[in-house]
Amino acid sequence: MAGIAIKSLVKTFGSYTAVDGISLDVRDGEFLIMVGPSGCGKTTTLNMISGLETPTSGEIVIGGRVVNDLEPGERGLGMVFQDLALFPHMTVFENIAFGLRVRKMPAAAIAERVMEAAEAMHIKPLLTKLPKQCSGGESQRVALARTIVTNPAVFLMDEPLSSLDAKLRVDMRTELKRLHERLRATFIYVTHDQAEAMTMADRIVVMSKGRIEQLGTPLEIYNRPATQFVAGFFGTPTMNFLEGSVIAGPDGPRFRGAGLEQPLPASLSRNSEGRPVVLGVRSEHVVISEAAALPGTARLLEPLGDATLVHFDAGEGKSLVAKVAPSTALAPGAPLKFGFAAEHCHLFDAATGLRHS
Amino acid sequence: MSRPPDTGTSLAAEAARARKRRRERSRRVTRHALLIAWTGFIAFPIFWMISTSFKDAGEWVAWPPHWLPHAPTLHNYAQIFAFGALDPTLSRQATEQAFTIWKGLGDAVLVCTSASLFALLLGTFLAYAISRFNVGGKYFRHTILMIRMIPPIVVAISILIYYAIIVPYVTSALFGVRISLFDTYVGLVLIYTVTTLPFVIWMMLTFIDEVPYTLEHAARLMGAGRVTVIRRVVLPLVASGMVVTFLFVFILNWAEFLLALTLTHPEVTTLTVLLNKFQSASEGRLYGPQAAIGTVVTIPVVILGLLIQKHLVKGFSFGTIRK
Amino acid sequence: MRWLASERVFRLIPFVLVEALFVVAILVPFALTIWISLLKWRANRPFETARFSGLENYEAVLSSDQFWLALGRTFYFAGVAVAIELVVGFMLAMLVSRCTRSRKLYTTVFLIPMMIVPIVVGYNFSMIYVDSGPLNQLLAPFLDRLGIDPRIRWLSHPVAAQWAIIIADVWQWTSLTFLIFLSGFAALPPQLINAARVMGATPWQIFWRIELPLLKPAIVIAIIIRSMEALKLFDPVVLLTFGGPGTSTQTVAYFLWEQVWVFNKFSFGAAASILLLIIFSLLIFMGVYMLVSHRRAVEGATS
Repeated sequence: MAGIAIKSLVKTFGSYTAVDGISLDVRDGEFLIMVGPSGCGKTTTLNMISGLETPTSGEIVIGGRVVNDLEPGERGLGMVFQDLALFPHMTVFENIAFGLRVRKMPAAAIAERVMEAAEAMHIKPLLTKLPKQCSGGESQRVALARTIVTNPAVFLMDEPLSSLDAKLRVDMRTELKRLHERLRATFIYVTHDQAEAMTMADRIVVMSKGRIEQLGTPLEIYNRPATQFVAGFFGTPTMNFLEGSVIAGPDGPRFRGAGLEQPLPASLSRNSEGRPVVLGVRSEHVVISEAAALPGTARLLEPLGDATLVHFDAGEGKSLVAKVAPSTALAPGAPLKFGFAAEHCHLFDAATGLRHS
Repeated sequence: MSRPPDTGTSLAAEAARARKRRRERSRRVTRHALLIAWTGFIAFPIFWMISTSFKDAGEWVAWPPHWLPHAPTLHNYAQIFAFGALDPTLSRQATEQAFTIWKGLGDAVLVCTSASLFALLLGTFLAYAISRFNVGGKYFRHTILMIRMIPPIVVAISILIYYAIIVPYVTSALFGVRISLFDTYVGLVLIYTVTTLPFVIWMMLTFIDEVPYTLEHAARLMGAGRVTVIRRVVLPLVASGMVVTFLFVFILNWAEFLLALTLTHPEVTTLTVLLNKFQSASEGRLYGPQAAIGTVVTIPVVILGLLIQKHLVKGFSFGTIRK
Repeated sequence: MRWLASERVFRLIPFVLVEALFVVAILVPFALTIWISLLKWRANRPFETARFSGLENYEAVLSSDQFWLALGRTFYFAGVAVAIELVVGFMLAMLVSRCTRSRKLYTTVFLIPMMIVPIVVGYNFSMIYVDSGPLNQLLAPFLDRLGIDPRIRWLSHPVAAQWAIIIADVWQWTSLTFLIFLSGFAALPPQLINAARVMGATPWQIFWRIELPLLKPAIVIAIIIRSMEALKLFDPVVLLTFGGPGTSTQTVAYFLWEQVWVFNKFSFGAAASILLLIIFSLLIFMGVYMLVSHRRAVEGATS
């Protein structure tokens, strides 16, 4: 079991910078998820940790050792690839045993270890089969068995669930969490699916354009996004954004823009005054009721079953989404009243995207 | 095609259906008739050759020609497969020195197998480098086949001058010994390897490209060095491709005539040259033995060709199949 | 071996080896051929007596009627043979692709001619064309009625000999155009054709407006590949006709062969082969240019 430290890691391909100086401390035994849109550099970072790519500059430290010069096979890692990379011409047994055979372990020990791993992943009956004879979920577990059999300190996973169908994905998520619980090893997991990140991670690293946008627990990320990007990336439907500026009001700072005015939390610092900002509010925090203050017109209703999404116009052509109780009766075109509380407002600088707090 | 009439009377609809069936059947009959006609056209020369190979000398140019030998004989085969000196009464012209097939067969097998093997090994090696490392640049894999665009006669002339004149000149100047590559096994194998190398590279490239690089990544992560990875992961997966490539190239070399004619004989004589010798050696052609040799030369190739037929079909689609 | 170090080895060694092989076996001989073509030399005299003579040999080749005739004849053979192969191969592919059960069988059979050693093909046809051969036997009823002696020696008549070669080529290589077109037909997306049928198109319209345009890349490829090979025609000429009667079936490859191996005019042959190489390269560039601009046009239309 080991912690990982990444120091000022940079990777350039010619004139293109994939990873632009990121530093990160992964705690021993934690389930860390790197999430971001495609091209954000998460896979490249993972490949540098594993050793499949060499960093242009920066250091990678695993368990206290600088591993930059070590071969991937010498870093004590296990990795699961997006396409699983099971050797099609070898049986499941041979696939799992490969890493041990390469290390010249005696045959009896190999058999024992493979059996253990197969037992743990519930794939014992598959041992004599070929990968093409295994279903999607079975292949996943074979890939996992292959990784755990070498007892690595760190597990790296590159979007391992993206090729599975929705139901299987949910099942495998639970399996992976359980595996993590049992092994207490460090897991570094890459995905572009924010729902996956939210449900599985101990901590999340949000990346965009080669940089870290925010590092924190799922709830931190969700409730206090550090940048507008993070705020917009997490949460379905996407957070509502309104452009405007901060003005000083009689009982504290207020937001003015998009044809409305909204009180902001009193704790907001003074530097945000006068600058163009973006106000963010999640759809579940938008309240629609007769007692609310602001006027709007309903446009489209999407019943989800446990809630209903109301797309409505809020004046000056701005369109917002509210997530309300399923019993709310509204018709397209009908007028409505909406509002949201000050403490549910997130404020971001229009230029930098950083949070004002 | 007229549309079937609306459901007026069911009788009319029934009649229309029957007409359609008859039309389709006559179309099918015509189609098969044409295809069978072409099959006949294809089969005829082959049939004639096999038939002639079993004919006695008197029947070769009989008029009207005998489609099937009236007195079938294995004489021709005996003649070409004979060992040692030949009974002059066996050949049609007593002054004619009949040839046996052994020299041609042995030389052909030796040259074709070695050239194909060398090309396969070297070409697979380079194909791996091109596939994984993009050696030679983006367009290398397309320009590789350009070598085949040179007319073989041009190659033959250049190589002849090279083997027969320049190489001896150089070696006698450097080592004091005249070593000529003309009419040598080494010489022919060398040129065969070079001319088939582009094919090997091209074919092995398609096979190696199909092996995902992530497999090598995974193996590498489990501690395997590159040699182990190639041995245990890549080669097993392209093994069948290597066999197909070898057979394809072997067939090409086996059928090759121009280079063998121009650069070898009599020390090295491949089957194609041997067949031609029968032709040019006499006024009265030894049709029987020629047919026998032709049959013997053709059968292995047809069998091999049928074996790799599936891959030929795939390979010759040249990207007309869009994925 | 460490991975990255091994990458250098695996990357360089094959490349260097193959390039070295090409240089030694192709480039050097070519350079020498060019040099030889600039000398005046016949092979029956020792090498040392050769003298430099500049472009004399090239002039000789370019002014040789026989050379131009052979070249023209080669284009004629290639043109006629390839045209027939394209049409017949196309029709065969079309017919076979409509068969359901016997498709594999026909395909296997139709591919066989391609696998026969070309020299054997030449030999087979020589047997058929002989004066007491089966061809004459088949034609005998017609010829007798016309009062002509059916024992025609086809290969002794210039035009007939030329057609003999063309037919031998067609016999063998229609398989290839057939193969290319068969893949083309197999690749036609059925949804497009079904959509057209639903919209009421007749089979003829479907063929002309949908299938044929989709098959254009296959047609282009077939033309290019077959033309390139057909221009090199040699084997059947040697076995069937020896370039005869006279020189009426000499292809340019045969002409070159004769000059060097029969008449030993090495320098002349060297110059001729360089000229031939230039001509071929021009053709290839033209072909590649057409292919690339065709592809660009297609991509431009669909972008």
